[in-house]
Amino acid sequence: MSSSIRTVVQALEDAADSVHTGFRFIDESKKSEPFFTYRDVERATARYAGAMQAMGLKKGERITLILPKNQDFVFAFLGALRAGIVPVPIYPPAGLRKLGGYLQNTLHVVRKSGARVVLTDGSIRRLLGTVQSGAPDLQRIEAIESLHDSREPFEPEKISLDDHCFLQFTSGSTSAPKGVIVSHRNIAANVRRFMEDGLEVETGDSGVSWLPLYHDMGLIGFVLGPLFYQNTMTYLPPILFLKRPVRWLETISRLRASISFGPNFAYALCVKRIRDADIEGLDLLSWRVAGCGAEPIRACDLDAFSRKFAPAGFDRRAMLPCYGMAEATLAISFDRLGKGVRTENVDADVLTGELKARVADPGRCRVIEVVNCGKTFEDHQVAVFAPEDAASEKPLPDRAIGELRVRGPSVTSGYFGEPELTKEAFAGDWLRTGDVGYIVDGDIFICGRQKELIIVNGRNYYPQDLEWEASRIDGVRKGNVIAFGTGKPLEDRERVVVAFETSVSDHDVRETLKQEVRKAVMRATGLSIDDVVDLDAGVLPKTSSGKLRRNETRRLYETGELFKRTSARRSDAIGIAKQIVRSQIAYARGALLMKK
Amino acid sequence: MSWTHEEVVIEVRSVVAEHSEADVDITETSELVADLEIDSLAVMEVVADLEDRFEITIDESELQDVVTLGEVVAAIENRLEADDKLKETVSA
Repeated sequence: MSSSIRTVVQALEDAADSVHTGFRFIDESKKSEPFFTYRDVERATARYAGAMQAMGLKKGERITLILPKNQDFVFAFLGALRAGIVPVPIYPPAGLRKLGGYLQNTLHVVRKSGARVVLTDGSIRRLLGTVQSGAPDLQRIEAIESLHDSREPFEPEKISLDDHCFLQFTSGSTSAPKGVIVSHRNIAANVRRFMEDGLEVETGDSGVSWLPLYHDMGLIGFVLGPLFYQNTMTYLPPILFLKRPVRWLETISRLRASISFGPNFAYALCVKRIRDADIEGLDLLSWRVAGCGAEPIRACDLDAFSRKFAPAGFDRRAMLPCYGMAEATLAISFDRLGKGVRTENVDADVLTGELKARVADPGRCRVIEVVNCGKTFEDHQVAVFAPEDAASEKPLPDRAIGELRVRGPSVTSGYFGEPELTKEAFAGDWLRTGDVGYIVDGDIFICGRQKELIIVNGRNYYPQDLEWEASRIDGVRKGNVIAFGTGKPLEDRERVVVAFETSVSDHDVRETLKQEVRKAVMRATGLSIDDVVDLDAGVLPKTSSGKLRRNETRRLYETGELFKRTSARRSDAIGIAKQIVRSQIAYARGALLMKK
Repeated sequence: MSWTHEEVVIEVRSVVAEHSEADVDITETSELVADLEIDSLAVMEVVADLEDRFEITIDESELQDVVTLGEVVAAIENRLEADDKLKETVSA
């Protein structure tokens, strides 16, 4: 088996020799679990590739995949790659949710990617009428069922490392999802590092995953990685895990699997939902790497998991904190294997006040426990910079807090069809991660993020979406809503707050309005809203150009000042006047310097 | 075991009540997420409990655009009917 840099298509063709390892798909409703050797996978995907070519799709064109069944997704995704067609995965509609926001998001992705075909299943196809009519490049919405027995011949395409492999749209937003371009070279570089250096994967390793395949951790980590190294994988439907977390651990136990990953919330959910009686039947001795990534890691949650499942043979040293993001293909760093969760306590006041991570004794001051996410991989670099260092000229020293930036062969060339956003994503030749942290001897520690993203239960929520929903309610001042996450992301679940302005003065009406805002946002996002704050007109902080300042609002909320600002219009006006005066002085100084 | 419509409503209501932390009356028009404050993760627990009570498996596709308690009841009844476990309600 070759581990050299190859395209996914080459890796798939190489894997066709394997008649012992492959993919197993657990289907909840049929209670069956078909197993396909890599030889079977090679043959089946050629059929899908042929069927897509017969639809008139050419190399480089995009196909959107909305396929809730893992087996359909894997075959269609790999089939598209073989034909050089660029798949664009979209998450399927979630149950118990209104469809409105979902359809809007889907339409945006279809249009942005310029996809000519949407491939989905028969039941979802019926829901997508508005998508068909709203996307001019879209020629058809095809049901996967019609491809299952296709006999169309497949004409192999020449695929090179620099061809686009697929587009990874950042999840969760109706406002502006962006499509990260992932090339075959990106995949090859990242897979090699996390499989060989990160996981030290061996022939006998096998994985179990319930992770959604439209997301990088499930797709690259547990479909493409294993394919390159021909390890056996077993997939559970994500919804099965969410309904019955014990099924994840039962599957690992039954199949003697050695590698499985989940976001922090997955481990917490197992602790909360799995009954002691169910632990008795589990044997987790084979589980050598229990990876954790994709959202902030809280050591206490992972510790609780380790303790709870120790009687079933779970080894706490199997826990592996990781750090990564779609823009870096998947993985940026893994901690060392077999060490468990390593943390350090840093002085909370020094952290926020002096922007330094000073190790401190919990008995003597307020501390924050930060998880060590390990070192980045060979031929990749991670460094910390001051956010205003736009060209990444001066990396900050060890233990200084700043923005983490990364460069190397796993980093994307940018967002599809978005030159402006691509430019903003880089500082010099470094990718801005948007995460705030520090480095000690190469080990990466994350302590927060600059991005205004709200992350709950492994899902990213964009504040704009929540704000938009709230803005639609009568009585809420349009464009004067700010949503943000707050609390101590490392110690506690993120709390979600929506603050809005209103001209209504009647107390009871305002209370009703708050209820309506809460309901509208929850209905659209499925997210629990912890607090809704009603404010008088002009209270929310804005920039001089009138843009809402989310991080400032969060700060005011956390210090309690937000509630004291009964009407800040006057003080805002004074603030703006001061700014103008200041900028004029600066301009005058600049002019003087120029003269010299 | 077979179920009548009334029995289905009672069971669904009781399962939902166990998971709701909101201090409101539960009616057929109550929305699980917006009114009863059961978030998207907890809703999956509700579904699992419903599956146990009715001894059925509910596919996610059967829950699309289902948001109220009444719609959940209808989705369950569709599944029960498909599995031949729904009794005709005898009208008085």
